[in-house]
Amino acid sequence: MIGQDGLWTKTFRYLTCLVLVIWLVLPLIPLAIWSFARGWFFPDILPRFWTLDAWDYAMSDTSGVLDSLWLTIGISLAATALSILIGVPAGRALGMYKFRGKEVVEMMILAPMIVPGIAVALGIHSVFIWLGLTNTVQGVILVHLIPTLPYMTLVMAGIFSNYDPAFEAQARSLGASPLKTFWYVTLPAILPGIIVGGLFAFLVSWSQYILTLLIGGGRVLTLPLLLFNFATSGRNDITGAIGMIYILPGILILLLTAKQLLGRSAAVGGFGRL
Amino acid sequence: MTHVSIQHLTKLYPGGDHPALDRLSLEIESGTLTALLGPSGCGKTTTMKIIAGLLEPSSGDVRFDGRSILREKPENRGAVMVFQNHLLFPYMSVAENVGFGLKMRKTNPAEIKRRVGEMLDLVRLPDLGERRPSALSGGQQQRVALARALIVQPEVLLLDEPLSNLDTHLRFGMRDLIRSLQQETGITTIFVTHDQEDAVVLADRVALILDGQMKQYETADAFYKRPVDEATARFFGGRNFVSGTSADGVFDSALGRLVLPLGAIAGQGTLTFRPENVRLGHAPSGENNLTADLIEVIYLGTQTRLKLSVGDMLIEAIVNPTDAEGYRVGALVPLHLPSGALWVIS
Amino acid sequence: MSDRLKIFLLLLPALLVIVGLFFGGLLIGLMRSFNYMPVIGLTEPNLQAYAAIFTEEEFYYSFLLSFHISFTSTVISCILAVGAALLLRRAFIGRAIINFLFQLNLTVPHLVGAIGILYLFSQSGSFARLAAEFGMIARPADFPALVFDPYAIGIILQYVWKEVPFIGVIVLANMQAMGEDYESVARSLGASKWQSFRYVLLPLIFPGLLSASVIVFAFTFGAYEIPALLGANYPAALPVLAYRKYTDVDLAARPEAMALAILIAVMSAVMIYIYIRYARRRVRGVR
Repeated sequence: MIGQDGLWTKTFRYLTCLVLVIWLVLPLIPLAIWSFARGWFFPDILPRFWTLDAWDYAMSDTSGVLDSLWLTIGISLAATALSILIGVPAGRALGMYKFRGKEVVEMMILAPMIVPGIAVALGIHSVFIWLGLTNTVQGVILVHLIPTLPYMTLVMAGIFSNYDPAFEAQARSLGASPLKTFWYVTLPAILPGIIVGGLFAFLVSWSQYILTLLIGGGRVLTLPLLLFNFATSGRNDITGAIGMIYILPGILILLLTAKQLLGRSAAVGGFGRL
Repeated sequence: MTHVSIQHLTKLYPGGDHPALDRLSLEIESGTLTALLGPSGCGKTTTMKIIAGLLEPSSGDVRFDGRSILREKPENRGAVMVFQNHLLFPYMSVAENVGFGLKMRKTNPAEIKRRVGEMLDLVRLPDLGERRPSALSGGQQQRVALARALIVQPEVLLLDEPLSNLDTHLRFGMRDLIRSLQQETGITTIFVTHDQEDAVVLADRVALILDGQMKQYETADAFYKRPVDEATARFFGGRNFVSGTSADGVFDSALGRLVLPLGAIAGQGTLTFRPENVRLGHAPSGENNLTADLIEVIYLGTQTRLKLSVGDMLIEAIVNPTDAEGYRVGALVPLHLPSGALWVIS
Repeated sequence: MSDRLKIFLLLLPALLVIVGLFFGGLLIGLMRSFNYMPVIGLTEPNLQAYAAIFTEEEFYYSFLLSFHISFTSTVISCILAVGAALLLRRAFIGRAIINFLFQLNLTVPHLVGAIGILYLFSQSGSFARLAAEFGMIARPADFPALVFDPYAIGIILQYVWKEVPFIGVIVLANMQAMGEDYESVARSLGASKWQSFRYVLLPLIFPGLLSASVIVFAFTFGAYEIPALLGANYPAALPVLAYRKYTDVDLAARPEAMALAILIAVMSAVMIYIYIRYARRRVRGVR
């Protein structure tokens, strides 16, 4: 810190802090309130009647919310698993080796992070119709790979660039087979990266909308699609409940990785070093 | 030409168990080159940063020419600090770096160009203005950092370990440069170092700081001839400490009775003498002659270190290798300690 | 096994996915925008789709709207994010809470935030009700239209809400990696707080800021669900227009939808170019 802060600076700092906290939490509040409200009309600041009806409905078998929840979890897990399987080796190649054309490959793998889904999905839709993958869960999982794979690769590339291959050479010279070396030496070292990258990939897949909408054709009803439908239908109470359910996994993931993400996010921070 | 007065400077870090600076006081004459010397963590860089305004002291005062500058912002103090790793702005050219301070003062561009040219000549780096810092060698970068500081004509120049990052052969050149620049400009300069050789060669006066406290502040030779305590003496390579009593110009101790130089004070104390002042052979006058057992001989090329014992006392001596040639471990070695080389720490 | 072969095998699955799905999708979209799809019998490429778009007034309004949304959101988010990062640099009592909330925000999907903005700022939303409470308005229609409005205020609010933490986290990481030493030097040389920010810190964090901005701009330009939820019907944001055309009963609109998709891709290609040209070079100079 350079010098001491004056009184004005300190007050300004605390005021800004307060505003920031409120602003960050604000949009989530009406959602939460709506989920417990009945007949909350203008100009009431708070609902006149509180009820759990919306939650009952959301949890019931008829609403399909829970089905949608499991479906979304399943799709995101699958996309994450695939991203890990593909991204770890790719990250190793990019993190540990220098080769001709490396920059081109890097750009190619990172391009999907910048190009919006809709630009690609319309073209893919045509091919998937021909392949019979439209309106299927497999098709959706596949297409989710497009945004999740770059994140996974980026994180793993970062991990591998700090990884010393000498450990593996040491294990081999001590008599370990390639498989054993991977299991006992490589995997423990890169596991934190896999976890962080995997959680990122999960969140990316979790919040996908247009890709699921286009390729799934509205038949693969993930939670965001369901949420959007209710939001535009005017049933704010159910929307609130679904919304709360929808953000839950993200919060859980955050709490799980609080230690690793403390202060600086491994993958996000890496953007500055792209 | 600014007189710097540091008064009872104390710095406590929250969570620290002892103060980084403990009532440090120092009067630095204007126009002098002073060294703050001490091991890492002793508080010397903290002191510099407080003078520069980059840190606030817990208590105490710093005055330039009698007026306290603690209230002033770093950019207004007139004390410029040059960091150990030069910190040249990486995305600016050398000329832009050097001219930075003037640009902040809104000097007109033509004037900036002229002064930058002068400065680069002064540090002997003409024609390098358009280069990027990353294209320069370590020594060149250091000189650019100096030029960048001097161009704003600071009242006080603060150099943080200016020689520590340099290879030995570059050090000599940089020492000369710092010395001549300081003399040419007459700016009160304080530099921080952990290397006593740098301090001794460069500085007009040296302030030894240990554990946040100012131990001794004198010209360099004083640390060799009149160290203020054992820790200070040891920092400068002093050895051979024996406690006893001095009375009537004679020191009584486990080494026997030794004649002290004139003006020695009576009382209890610790006698010390530097290894290089131990002389082989007995003095004809019989004054301060000892006979010691030779325990170890370490040949160092330009000198030989001898470890000897007199009774229970261990003595170290540094002598010319040729003089030490005849002695083998286990032999009895005659020594004498010239009285002028003896110093009693009270 | 040679290194080259090893590298190739490691990259193969990823490249298959990327080249097959991503570039394949782009290519097919491009071909179909030219009405060229031999597999289903369209063997004569033409520019009909593009001609149709470029002569349509709606396209220009949509493009301008999307550009306005992206530009405004990105600029505002950058400014606020740098401010937030400066705030969060040094330890102080609310810092842990804000750090947590920033990261929480990163996990909340855009759609949820958009719905929240809707419930807050619509003409019968929370703020409108507060205004009524204080007697400022009598009926919902009296409250200014912040959603479904021509200036896309609600949309921009939502993007700013999500992107400030995103950019902020990146910029903060940069600042912390940089340390305060360069600014110390500048202050020591006579720069005021503002000058040391403007001439020393800002250039140093610029590459990271630019890469984050490029991502934000491209995202906000091509996102569908937020303008679909919060936007007006006419003009609609470009992705909404593209989707509408794609799902139009009239199949002739499909190539036009592809053309719009390609144009969105081109815009993001421009963003990538800017990134390569201005952010990467800087980064190399610094390190």
